[in-house]
Amino acid sequence: MSPEGGYHKKILHVDLTECKTHVETVSDEFALKYIGGRGWGARLVWEHMKDDIDPLGPDNIIVIAPGPLSGLYLPAAGKTSFCSISPATGIYGDSNLGGMFGVELRMTGFDAAVITGKAPELSYLWIDDDDIQIKSAVKYRNMGSIETEHLLREDIGDETVKVATIGPAGEKLVKMACITADWGRNAGRTGMGAVLGSKNLKAIAIRGTKDLPVADLPRLTRISDKAYRKLRQHNLFEFWQRQGLMSVIDYANASGIIPTHNFMDAHFDKAEEINGDVMELNYKIGDAACYSCPMACSNVNLVKDGKYAGTVIEGPEYETAAMFGSNVGISDFDAILRANYLCDEYGIDTISAGSLISVMIEAYEKGLVSLEDVDGVALKWGDDDAIMDMIRKIAFREGVGDTLADGVFGVIKRWPQLAPLISHVKGLEQSAYDARIAITMALGYATSDIGAHHARAWPIAKELEMGSNWSLEEKADLVIYHQTVRPLFDMLGVCRLPWIELGFDENTYAEFYSAATGIEFTLEELLKRSDAVYNLTRAINIRLGLTRADDKPPERVFNDPIKTGPHAGKALSRDEFDKILDIYYQRRGWDNDGIPTNETLRENGLEDVIEYMEQKRAGK
Amino acid sequence: MCAISHAGVNNPKKANIRVISLYPHPVIKMPIVCEQCKKPKCRDACPTDAIVKNDGVVTILEDRCISCHACVNACPIGAIFVHEDIEIPFKCDMCGGKPKCAASCPKKAILYVPEHTQGQAHRLGAALKYAHMQEVEYYEHGIKKKLRYAEIETGGTRGDSE
Repeated sequence: MSPEGGYHKKILHVDLTECKTHVETVSDEFALKYIGGRGWGARLVWEHMKDDIDPLGPDNIIVIAPGPLSGLYLPAAGKTSFCSISPATGIYGDSNLGGMFGVELRMTGFDAAVITGKAPELSYLWIDDDDIQIKSAVKYRNMGSIETEHLLREDIGDETVKVATIGPAGEKLVKMACITADWGRNAGRTGMGAVLGSKNLKAIAIRGTKDLPVADLPRLTRISDKAYRKLRQHNLFEFWQRQGLMSVIDYANASGIIPTHNFMDAHFDKAEEINGDVMELNYKIGDAACYSCPMACSNVNLVKDGKYAGTVIEGPEYETAAMFGSNVGISDFDAILRANYLCDEYGIDTISAGSLISVMIEAYEKGLVSLEDVDGVALKWGDDDAIMDMIRKIAFREGVGDTLADGVFGVIKRWPQLAPLISHVKGLEQSAYDARIAITMALGYATSDIGAHHARAWPIAKELEMGSNWSLEEKADLVIYHQTVRPLFDMLGVCRLPWIELGFDENTYAEFYSAATGIEFTLEELLKRSDAVYNLTRAINIRLGLTRADDKPPERVFNDPIKTGPHAGKALSRDEFDKILDIYYQRRGWDNDGIPTNETLRENGLEDVIEYMEQKRAGK
Repeated sequence: MCAISHAGVNNPKKANIRVISLYPHPVIKMPIVCEQCKKPKCRDACPTDAIVKNDGVVTILEDRCISCHACVNACPIGAIFVHEDIEIPFKCDMCGGKPKCAASCPKKAILYVPEHTQGQAHRLGAALKYAHMQEVEYYEHGIKKKLRYAEIETGGTRGDSE
């Protein structure tokens, strides 16, 4: 089978050490088997990795991969994955961003770019269709992401060029550094910005003019016209444009799952001061959308007066508002916007930063660290001045920020007594959904291939709906289904929100893909491919030393019951979790140590992975 | 979508409409598309009379155009586009009277309205900004509601007489 569209079948390889580029023509088999985006990324990472790879060494690669649907005429087709070995966790990591950046990359005629090596000086990559140059970025050193993007466009002399950058945090190899594109859209998680920083790559600027290949354009147009009509008719469509993900604050607080005071609590009594209504009424100055998306869930907000006046930012969405709101005890929306702006500009992940800052506040309040440890600032909940200062210190590695910049493991290494306070899995800080009331959410975090991130599984809403009358088997199956369907969106290069939030039928994506490639696919076939990729990322992690002991949710979900709200008193049971993990492994076709069995690997067409897993099973 | 229906390919760089977005100095997003000027500067600039206006729509005639790009530079808002794959400059043709961009815009940022209604939004805005608004509260089916109205002024001016 040869796809007649969907792919250019070309990958751009850039070696920054040698200052060389070459173009790889990919086989039809590779293209279709791994689909694109995170799928292609995982496979390329697997092929280039060594067991003792240094995530911040020149040998590590970073794959920039939109998907075969990115840039096509269909709802929300603007997602790009960045895949690599993560400096935060030491295992496979990926993170994606929306906007226009990946679409522009596809319009240069490349489906993906792979970057390796290390440039001799701070540089940026300029991809102007087929003309590829590595240029000096020394003048942008220590400059913020948004400012760099703005200046780079000016220097190139074209306001329509698409740019992805890292901020000072990425340059300084901060392990929660993100990659920022289209003025504040972030591939935030797993420290992908630090990988670029380790390669001395400050930015990537792209200008493409080429047609995107589609096998059956009239069919795609027909399906999409219908899809757009359907989305616009949804009764929540208009509300979604107005508040976007900020509407989740009220839902999460009412459901008792909003992170509060470093996840000690899951209910915030001042949630009404930081919710979607507050944003909409007092701060919002405009909508923003990713490529071809009618939902326009992003909000442009401005602080009009007070000490943060003039702060303008595309955001926050739920995660940021919760992690820099309830989780650090801030109930002033001005301060949340400021924190969001600083994180975007310095280039750090708002989830990781909000989490570790809240850990330090709790640690100081409980006397687990001294005043000297926190640079003489008596930390307390909701102290916005101290929190803004902390963000800067992390980004520039000053004082206590230097330790936080080394991520979860850096903090534990310096202060082992803080380990029980940190909500993380495998070194990645937990997203803004409490897991104590939902074992599926805990299992989702524990078995996510990149660490405690909600992008792989978000079964919490379903569990809240279902109550207690369903079996552990059903629960494990739900988590596996989430971990299969959600990453599929990242592989196709589209956003999952039309599906989750506006009830858009996931089967339509099989139709989009069929129209693009000219080959008929069912959703089941695509899910099978996504499942194979999940087994592949598992294999990468096993090779890098991951064991069953790492598949555990944050300690807090067992030890510290929720204090207030609708689920006060609730915590998870360790025994029950062990039981569901067994069931999960079994249903995944993994052995008791969490290593995919030979049979599972064969079923997924991963024969070449078998020998590595055998070695691990033999304890080598 | 514009490019699909006019150029037959999925390529936004071949569309007859573009969105300019600037950020953060200043924050603005603006669609740029031909306004079908009454006295088109592109037509005046064309050395081969390849640009004509029929039924209110400005059109570039392919057989007369020499692709000198004089029109591209003459357009005061930059609504005529070029692409290396396409022989001559291209622009909005109003989709035969049913512009697809206006029909599909989910935010109503692009409107297709009769010419005489132009400026209506400003007039409406001006009316709503009227300084002497009054409010009455009333109950309908037990729910408290507010009605706003403009008070008639005896002086006929907007200034405060006191």
